[in-house]
Amino acid sequence: MSSEGEASAEITVENDHGLHLRPAADFVRTAARYRSRIQVGNLTRGDSRQANARSLLEVTALGIDRGHSIRLSATGEDAEDAVKALTELIRSNFGA
Amino acid sequence: MSVALVLVSHSARLAEGTRDLAEQVAQGAVPIRAVGGAEDGSLGTNAFAILEAIESLDSAGGVLLLVDLGSAVLSAETALEQLAPEKRDRVRLADAPFVEGAVAAAVEASVGSELEAVLATAEAARGQGKLG
Repeated sequence: MSSEGEASAEITVENDHGLHLRPAADFVRTAARYRSRIQVGNLTRGDSRQANARSLLEVTALGIDRGHSIRLSATGEDAEDAVKALTELIRSNFGA
Repeated sequence: MSVALVLVSHSARLAEGTRDLAEQVAQGAVPIRAVGGAEDGSLGTNAFAILEAIESLDSAGGVLLLVDLGSAVLSAETALEQLAPEKRDRVRLADAPFVEGAVAAAVEASVGSELEAVLATAEAARGQGKLG
């Protein structure tokens, strides 16, 4: 049994402020609960930049606004759980 | 016990505004003190006020100092010299941009990371562009 897992998801951010400071902080805190390496990219901006989901400054620099689509990809033993938790956080509009 | 932050600026308003940002991202999980201005209220830094801020915090989890400009480093170092050695061992001075470093450190501390990890996160802000 391998401990390396991979998971990814594409999701549209619908909350009013996109991934601005406070929601980005919630996102980073959620990512910090998992051991997997998690990356985020902004599909709507169409560049190839990948932010480390554990870095608030990298995540906020992606410029993720309301209506943008993002791609989450995780590698590690809990990759699937991590992507699921982050997807749920975004779907819930950060608990708003 | 979370790492605590002390934000030192030449301007009280800059220190307080940066603290507001850091508190918002830390969601109340991190003790944060703002110290700004000289003794007479003008722009500057005050080693005694920095010392008081550090001593007002429980340093069990460690204390990270962030400063706005290089000329605050001297005051911060003067304050550190006044601390008892066992307390001094639990305090670090970050070589980091003030706002980005404070906000990144606040999030890192809020997830329960150790002092050295919070310091590393603050200092990683040096290489992080705003425009990507």
